[in-house]
Order: sequence, then C-alpha cells, then structure tokens
Amino acid sequence: MIEPGYFWNNVILLAIGTLVIRGSLIALSAKLRISERARELFSFIPAAVLPAFVAPAVYFHQGQVEALMGKERFVILALATALCYVTRSTLATIAFGLAALYLITSNFA
Amino acid sequence: MASTVRPGIFKKGFQAMLPISTGIIPFGAVMGSISADAKLSLFETISMNVLVFAGTSQLAAIDLMANNAASAVIVMTGLIINLRFLLYSAALSPVVQSTGFWTKLASSYVVTDQTYAVMSAHQDKLKSNAESITFYFGASVCMLIAWHASVVAGHIFGNFAPASLALDYAVPLSFVSLVLPTLKNRLYVVIAAFSSGVSLVLNGLPYRTGLIATALLSVALAAF
Repeated sequence: MIEPGYFWNNVILLAIGTLVIRGSLIALSAKLRISERARELFSFIPAAVLPAFVAPAVYFHQGQVEALMGKERFVILALATALCYVTRSTLATIAFGLAALYLITSNFA
Repeated sequence: MASTVRPGIFKKGFQAMLPISTGIIPFGAVMGSISADAKLSLFETISMNVLVFAGTSQLAAIDLMANNAASAVIVMTGLIINLRFLLYSAALSPVVQSTGFWTKLASSYVVTDQTYAVMSAHQDKLKSNAESITFYFGASVCMLIAWHASVVAGHIFGNFAPASLALDYAVPLSFVSLVLPTLKNRLYVVIAAFSSGVSLVLNGLPYRTGLIATALLSVALAAF
C-alpha cells in the first residue's frame, strides 16, 4: 500500500520537475539566439538518444530460441532495420518485426 | 518563412503516430496493471498519468514507492530518466520560438520520445515551423489518446496485451523506423552506432543515468 500523502508529494514534485525539463528551453526560446551550428547539433538528437533506448532493451533481453542463443529479438531487429532502410515504412517495419518474433518463438522456442 | 499550413497536416501527424501506437498501447497496459497491483486507485493512476505524462519515469517511481524508497531518490531517479526531454526541448525551441504562451506550454507538455521523433522523421516534408508544430500536435493527440486509454484499460482489466504477441517489442521497432529517416549522412550513422555501443557499456550505471550519459556523449561526439 502506497500511502496517499507520500504518493502525492512524489507525483507532484516529479510532475513539476518534468515540466520544467520539458519547457525550460522552449520558454526561453524567444530570448535565445539559436545559431546555425546549434540547429545542426539538434538534428543529431534522435540519433544520439533513440539507439540508447533500443540497444540495451534488445541486446540484454533473454529470449527463448536456443538456436539464436536467446538473441532472437536482436537478430530480428537487424533484419527489420534493413527492411526499414529499403521500405522507409514504419508500419512495414513494426508488422514484420512482430510477425517474425511471433513465428520464430512459436515454432522454435 | 511561410506561416501558412497546408490542409491535412494535423491529420498527417495523427496518422504518422498510429503505427507507433502498437508500442505505446502495451506499455500503457503494463503501466495501468502495475498501478493497480501497487493498489493505486484509478483516480491516482489517471492523475499521475496526466501530471507526469512520462511512462518510463512513472514505472520507476511506482516501483520505488512500492518499496518505500526515500522521496528524494524517487524524484531524482524520475528526473534523471526524463532529462533527455531537455534535448528534445532544445531541438524544438527554434520551431516554437515565435509562438505564443499557450502553444509553448502545450508543446512542452507533450514532449515525449515518440512525438519528437515522429516530427523529426517527417521534417523534410514539413515546409514551415507552423506546419511542423501542427504536425507535432496531430501526433501528440494520437499519442495522448493511445496512452491514457491503454493505461485506464490496463488498470481495470489487468495487462490485456497477449503475452504470445510480445507487443512490447514494437517499441524498439518503432524507434528504429523513426531514427532511420533522420540519419542524413555517414556522420549521423556513426553517431547512432556510437550511441548503441555506449548504451550497452553504460547500461549498469546507477539511478538510470546510463541513458542520459550516452545521449550527452553522443551529442558531444557530433559536436567534436
């Protein structure tokens, strides 16, 4: 049981802190002179952040397919990345990845 | 810069988020069912979702609260996890620079991995800042609906996503499809590869600092 006073205190502090993180640079944007160099650096942000989510979640996941040493998610992700590179389709990438994982774990696990 | 927005941009943003929702919905289901397991009421669960609106930090906070961790640890862990939003907020700042208070507040509130990534993946098709913002809000509305509905359903019905379908795997798949269009030349590919490798090495850092450390190192490498 999470005591209500404790819950609300934590949630409100987390909410305020998170909104400050999300909003501080946006709030200051009108006063900032944003250089071309900064804009260029901003364009690297997806490449800097998203792989750091994906790589540990997929690589350290212990799967069930012994032939792939439990790394079926990693192998399928590599194939899905190639497919995405060719098709440029989010839907095709996700559909292929989920279907491939379903088929491989239901047949080889 | 043209400030007119071609018709249908909001809808395009909404539609661009639809396939990504396959990763959001099972995450929301987990969030809802874990909140119910921790004996949080539906009101508390919805309030936390509306106020914080950052799933990974919420999951960590519930886990820590269930173990009676000190408030300082709970809040700091959540904020470290959310520190990456500062990078998205920096990247959005030139886009929203000349908008009014409410647009800035709304665009800040809906900063998430998916909303920012969807916008940047479609950046080359958006012709002005006004179009980018409209597209971003369209994507955000889709995200808000998918997230809140799935959390509420998860709280009421438990984790409804069938385990055999492993829908959580849609999250890394959708991130791959969102990051690829932003890799404009070889340097971007190097940064993405660097981020992947460093994140594996730093995965064990305490208080979930590995993610933000990796992100900052990767941006620093791009600057260098």
